[in-house]
Amino acid sequence: MERIYIYKVFERFWHWSQALIIGFLGITGFEIHGSFSLFGFDFAVRWHTYAAWALVILIVFAIFWHFTTGEWRQYIPTTKMLKEQFMYYIGGIFNNAPHPTNKTVYNKFNPLQRITYLGLKILIIPVIVSTGFLYLYFQYPKFGIEFQTLEPIALIHTFGAYILLAFVIAHVYLTTVTGVKFLSSIKAMITGWEEMEEEEIKIVVEEEMEVALKIIRSKLDAGDDKSAILDHALEEVEEKLGVKRETYFRDAISQSSAGYFCISKDGYYKEVNDAWIKLYKYDSRDEILGKHYRLSRSEEDFKELEATVAKVLKGETINHGEVKRTCKDGSEGYHTLTLSPVYIGDEIDCFEGFIIDTTARYLAEREMMKKKLRLAEWQQKKDEEKENN
Amino acid sequence: MLSVVALVMAGSGEQVNDSVRTFPIENYIFKADRNTTPSVDHSKFEVLQQTFENAHQVTEACLSCHTERDKEIMATSHWKWERDEFIEGKGIVPLGKKNILNNFCIGVAGSEATCTRCHIGYGWKDKSFDFSESTNIDCLVCHDNSGTYKKGKGMAGLPDPSVNLNVVAQSVGQPGTENCGVCHFWGGGGNNVKHGDLDVAMLDCSREVDVHMGRDTENMSCVDCHKTEKHQMAGKVYALSSENKDRVTCTECHTKKPHLDKILNDHNIRIACQTCHIPVYAKANATKMWWDWSTAGRLDEDGKPMHENDAYGNHNYLSIKGNFVYDDDVIPEYFWFNGLANHQLITDKIETVPVQMNSLYGSYLDKGASQSSTEQSKIWPVKVHRGKQPYDTINMTLIQPKLWDKEQGKGAYWVDFDWDEASRIGMEYIGQPYSGAFGFIETEMYWPLNHQVSPASESLKCVDCHTRNNSRLASLTDFYLPGRDRNIFLDGFGVIVIIGAIIGVIIHAMLRRYLRRKYFFQKESN
Repeated sequence: MERIYIYKVFERFWHWSQALIIGFLGITGFEIHGSFSLFGFDFAVRWHTYAAWALVILIVFAIFWHFTTGEWRQYIPTTKMLKEQFMYYIGGIFNNAPHPTNKTVYNKFNPLQRITYLGLKILIIPVIVSTGFLYLYFQYPKFGIEFQTLEPIALIHTFGAYILLAFVIAHVYLTTVTGVKFLSSIKAMITGWEEMEEEEIKIVVEEEMEVALKIIRSKLDAGDDKSAILDHALEEVEEKLGVKRETYFRDAISQSSAGYFCISKDGYYKEVNDAWIKLYKYDSRDEILGKHYRLSRSEEDFKELEATVAKVLKGETINHGEVKRTCKDGSEGYHTLTLSPVYIGDEIDCFEGFIIDTTARYLAEREMMKKKLRLAEWQQKKDEEKENN
Repeated sequence: MLSVVALVMAGSGEQVNDSVRTFPIENYIFKADRNTTPSVDHSKFEVLQQTFENAHQVTEACLSCHTERDKEIMATSHWKWERDEFIEGKGIVPLGKKNILNNFCIGVAGSEATCTRCHIGYGWKDKSFDFSESTNIDCLVCHDNSGTYKKGKGMAGLPDPSVNLNVVAQSVGQPGTENCGVCHFWGGGGNNVKHGDLDVAMLDCSREVDVHMGRDTENMSCVDCHKTEKHQMAGKVYALSSENKDRVTCTECHTKKPHLDKILNDHNIRIACQTCHIPVYAKANATKMWWDWSTAGRLDEDGKPMHENDAYGNHNYLSIKGNFVYDDDVIPEYFWFNGLANHQLITDKIETVPVQMNSLYGSYLDKGASQSSTEQSKIWPVKVHRGKQPYDTINMTLIQPKLWDKEQGKGAYWVDFDWDEASRIGMEYIGQPYSGAFGFIETEMYWPLNHQVSPASESLKCVDCHTRNNSRLASLTDFYLPGRDRNIFLDGFGVIVIIGAIIGVIIHAMLRRYLRRKYFFQKESN
């Protein structure tokens, strides 16, 4: 069993203070409704109002957080796997079937959760909050506005409370269903760390890698300091998820969109991943394993690569800028490149690296350049015409 | 007791500490800050030392210095016992003790000589009374500060022969609570009979009975609130009036934001101060709740009128008046009230049973816009006096019977015990038709409560109204009151949803447990 860091500090603070406030609002609210007598009507009315304001402030912060962190995307509803998730709850769960969906940092909620939470956020909570405000501040004339009767407002407000209460019951129960163990979901919401099966963790790491590599690419494109960018990114992933297993990274890499390769010190491919095969337009691994890396370059570019490899074999790690590759069919592509030696004992046995495709960007830049050149030519021509006149 | 009122501060908008809490007061000068020494000593005036042959001469003496005051007096309803008031659908009508019917002693007409013991005049014994004669004014009943003045029984307002007019005349001053109370406490034939919140106990009571007039509080007098300008006293009673004017309000002194709490202040938008601050009435002495004239006339073995008392010493039967029910510490009934009232005039046909003597107008949806009232309706505490009284079963009007006379054979019910004759003579006296057929009909009369305000600690609590069972406002069903009201369908739906969710969870959990175990066993056996 491993642990992954899923819930951020604010998220947990928000969740639990919201739970507390809503619980308190529920108790005082139903006391005001006349369902029971606990704190006394006076206290209930007063503190229901204060708690309502506390909730509103919390909601404002939460909205800000959701938009600045992009977490709002977690709530975009999807029908993908919706049916499967539903069937799981009413069927598969009884047969110990695996979860149809996985919880990851970038996809915390299953499709049912997405729809439910979104419903709460954009329907139930706004309805309760807005009727609450009308209830509080417009039952007497205000700005010339006065409701003829409080009844519909009170009834809608109460209706929202019932729905919310039903949600809380189901929500609390389902936390015991979705975790690895009985209380692991609740523990995760308290500590931020979610216990997961190894398979799940792999998926999480892969997804995180994708994001890390995207960030690296953008940094390389931006021409940032290239040294150690990859290591730094990997460290970040490690830190973020709290995972320390190298194997997860290798697995993640083999799944990622970055091309991975490993070449023996005498220059023959030992390992490439699917992304690499795709970028070089091979059909299978067998076509390239055991072949020399000269195949990856045109003749004039090969010399440059050879020189770089020589450095790596002396122990250097190289982060290379954009290079031109030669694919299986002879076409060309562009990528950035990292190269680092792999030691067995004290000896360098082979070297490995990642390639991140930049062809699209390169071609776009070339187009831009061509246009600029044409523009410059045209301008020059015009200037000349002027002079002649 | 903590209640000693530290009323040393005064002036506009100051904070007053009644040792329980602080609240703002304006437009009031505390007694401690007043100079109450009279500017003149009436005993030194020669005109008051003369030998008075009758009470009229006292009045003449008063007016010899206080000229023009008679004209002021003659313009008041205390003098005229009527005033022109507008009633919706009936136009402007003269309303007052002179002509209005109630469900106590019914009306003064025909019995003036005894009823006018409470008139500020001398000699109103019948319709011939001269309302324009200045010397008919009784200055003393209001201005006597000696405590020795009293009007004689059945003497049409003239003083009792035992009164020393020189003593009284030389000790006049501002009216005190006693002066007002002699009529306003004893209306209806006994102490606290009518109002329920005006009681002889207010001359000497604790702050629990009256937080304004208690001896251990500011010990205010009537005219501290019922401010008077040119003998026109502020305030009115809805037994005798119908318009929303000349009223005395709590907010004049207590401001429109008397509470430290906004929620409480907001309540005043639709709830009168009195509603919470007069939680019960008739606190010191019982008040009359029911008067059944139909049982009157039962005489003892000797054919003499008799009386019977209840366990607390209150009359519950009088031959001349019928059956009564008294009650003390009564919880008021609550009504929407916008300051306007209707009146069942003697000329009005009876249309409802019980007959509404002076129904109060107002409703939750009445926010003043559609009424001549400028205020929206508020919830008021009201004493409702119920009873049965004679009516003309053919003409379908109430009857004004002649009740009192000194002698037998003049048709007065209290002497002759003949309803038919008393009705005939009474109606003839006011020029109204009487068919000769009479019966008794239930009537209801409304007395909005204003006096005997309780200390803040005794005022109503939230749950006196905001409660599902036994809410004080249970009878006001035209609006949604949180804590009292609910929608039975919504709550039913809510309960079904919640119980459904719980049952669903339990079934799901049990299935998980049972089926998983089965699954594991299967797996192991494989």
